[in-house]
Amino acid sequence: MSQETPAVQMTDIVQKFGSFTALDHVSLAVQKGGIHALVGENGAGKTTLMKVLYGALKQTSGHVELSGRPIQFRNQAEAIQNGIGMVSQHYAIIPELTCLQNLMLGAEPGWAIPVKKAEERAYDLASKMGFSFDWNSPAAGLSPAGAQKLEILKLLWRKASIMILDEPTAMLSPSDSDALYDSLKSLAEGGATIIVVTHRLPEVMESCQNVTVLRGGKLIDSRPVSDVTTAELANLIVGRSLEIPTKEGFLGSNPWLQVKGLTVKGDRGNEAVRNASFTLCKGEVVGIAGVDGNGQRELFQALSGNRKPQGGQIVLAGKDVTKEGQAQRIQAGVRQIPEDRHAEGVIEEWSLAENASLGLQRHPTLRKGSFIDRKARLDFASKIAERFRTKHSGFQKPMKSLSGGNQQRFVAARALAIDPKLVLAFQPTRGLDIDGTQQVYNALRATARSGGAALVVSFDLDELLEHCDRVMVICHGVLSEVPENQTRDRAAIGRLMVGAEL
Amino acid sequence: MKKTPIWGMWLFTVGAFAFVVAILVLVKAVPLETFSGMVTGALGTPGGWRGTLREMTPLLILGAAVFLALKAGLFNIGADGQYTVGALAGVATALAVPGPLGMVLALGAGCLAGALWALPAGLIKAYKGGHEVITTIMMNNIARFLTVALVAGPLRNPAQESATTKILAKESQLPILIQDGPFRLNIALFLGLGIVIGVGIWLRTTVSGYELMATGANKRAAEASGVSVAQTLVKAMTASGLLAGLAGAVHVLAYENRFYADFSPGFGFDALGVALLAASNPFLLIPAALLFGAISQGTSAISILGVPKGLSGVLLGLTILVFAVFRYRKETPHA
Repeated sequence: MSQETPAVQMTDIVQKFGSFTALDHVSLAVQKGGIHALVGENGAGKTTLMKVLYGALKQTSGHVELSGRPIQFRNQAEAIQNGIGMVSQHYAIIPELTCLQNLMLGAEPGWAIPVKKAEERAYDLASKMGFSFDWNSPAAGLSPAGAQKLEILKLLWRKASIMILDEPTAMLSPSDSDALYDSLKSLAEGGATIIVVTHRLPEVMESCQNVTVLRGGKLIDSRPVSDVTTAELANLIVGRSLEIPTKEGFLGSNPWLQVKGLTVKGDRGNEAVRNASFTLCKGEVVGIAGVDGNGQRELFQALSGNRKPQGGQIVLAGKDVTKEGQAQRIQAGVRQIPEDRHAEGVIEEWSLAENASLGLQRHPTLRKGSFIDRKARLDFASKIAERFRTKHSGFQKPMKSLSGGNQQRFVAARALAIDPKLVLAFQPTRGLDIDGTQQVYNALRATARSGGAALVVSFDLDELLEHCDRVMVICHGVLSEVPENQTRDRAAIGRLMVGAEL
Repeated sequence: MKKTPIWGMWLFTVGAFAFVVAILVLVKAVPLETFSGMVTGALGTPGGWRGTLREMTPLLILGAAVFLALKAGLFNIGADGQYTVGALAGVATALAVPGPLGMVLALGAGCLAGALWALPAGLIKAYKGGHEVITTIMMNNIARFLTVALVAGPLRNPAQESATTKILAKESQLPILIQDGPFRLNIALFLGLGIVIGVGIWLRTTVSGYELMATGANKRAAEASGVSVAQTLVKAMTASGLLAGLAGAVHVLAYENRFYADFSPGFGFDALGVALLAASNPFLLIPAALLFGAISQGTSAISILGVPKGLSGVLLGLTILVFAVFRYRKETPHA
């Protein structure tokens, strides 16, 4: 196997952005017909390396060979013509188009589209992968897992034989993740070469053949997964031993957030949250486990004041806030780490300083009367950038100059910065590495303990079990507590998540 | 991220220039003479400057109006209609109440008329999702025909053949600051400059300005930040209309001194160009308005050379295109 010419051979890649070296003589060899994991912390250079591979970036030096043939793509279109495609973290699905139209977009078979033939080919591709799609329905109805599958089919439609997937399971439920890796494995067995950029080490251990570790733009190690343990891998990524958090048992007794009989309608008029009742005690960090699309979004929107509930009551710190709008709730200390940071958490064109006060623009410490207190805002920006060590190149630089993980650090720090009384965190560690995840949860816990509470939605049950004081489950809009004797029972909670009987 | 090559942009610029020269040759004008005539006509003589600054005044206020809406993510194509109703309201008020008090009331009436004219578009956008470009275009047409009807009917000066109002009394007009000498300057110019600077400072330093710009930049992020997007849209559209209406009132009180049918030569649309040239910097509205004023004045000056006045529209359009090519160069969508 190792004697074969690798499907992808990247040698001595250097990528500089100005004076910053993002990749420092990195080499990568990927064998044909396997799943190769690329792991590392935020800003380690994983995405940059992949962008060089598929032509979105031109490396400063170094060269790339595909099956021994030197290549230099000028853009993604050339890359895909040569069989390399990437599914990025942010799906490029256009909701208004049908699934079939999305599949073909940019790679239509000709000026006039033979719909019947296209449908047949789409159907064939999907069934080979074990997927099923309603090809003529709008893509807006797709779940994240469905969108992910469609993205993979888009690459197959374009006859890609080398596929790069960036954080493919970030938005997927455990069972969807397993299913995804099953299909990736069958693709690899069929001769495709797959590179997965991921933070989730269990995935690497279970499903990948080889793993490459990057840290700070340098190649740290590259070896078969069978030669490495999860703990070793984690140490390679972080560069030092991770402290294993000692989980202190926390039992609150002082009710802080009381939700009674909350019913919330979804965008399609369905009852997205049905008659939810629960209590968060002062000091608690409570997780909500569930498969994506089971009402988590609508529940959070109702709690943040973004969506009017149909019925029920929300009491925060003894005060009924059900009728209060978003601005009033922010004033009362409700903070969000929003689900989709691009759409809700930041304004990408604005500077870091301007983004620092987003959501807190009316807080007395950040303004002088009707005017913005620029100095306070700048100090605040530097404070929150420091908290989770956001890597940036200046507070006047636009937010879009930051990598996704660093944006997330910034947004998370902002939510925890001034007077947080109730933190609503939706996938707060999306795009974060092990270290960042640890930092964010530690901060969430510290925030809650110092006189508030935090509610966390994540699709990663292990993460919730590891970091939260307790876990509730939401399934089809019904929120349920986990029976007391099963609070740490992964399998039992997993069954609740899919609505199975205990 | 890819950049359009710089030579491509220069090629475009040269092409645009060649296009203008071709038009001039077509109308049998000598290009060099025409261009120098334009520059002299607009900026080379006191009279030229007077005309340029006069043309610039409404463009400043209207530019600020369009800019404000643009920052909230709204295309106020309706500035022209708001300007027209503002002008008529100003004249009608100043005719009804003569003297300095009437003048102040007339400015207020212009603001009110413009704001009311923009309000429906704001409400429809905020609460029904109707696109403001469509609604404001409709309101423009209503403004145009309604004012024509009014000035041909109840507001018409019976002593005149054409549809026009009476001329405002001297004491109802906005005062001229420098009367003597070559530079006659009306206070209106300074009012315009003040409004542009005021809008710029407001947007950049106040919390409400921040919220308005957040709405324009990312509605969902604004909503999640506690900004009432619907209310902000209505307020921004109404404020934009208010300024456009004020521009109309100022223009009649300072320069035209009467209202007539088909009053606006398209200032509201030129203002779109002014605001687009200024892009993200409100203070650039001032040079942009000056440029538009100068081109407009310059082409009037050369109309004696037999060059059609319509050339100013061609020049303005090409100017915007050339600027757009340079400005948006970096914004080619990246991979």
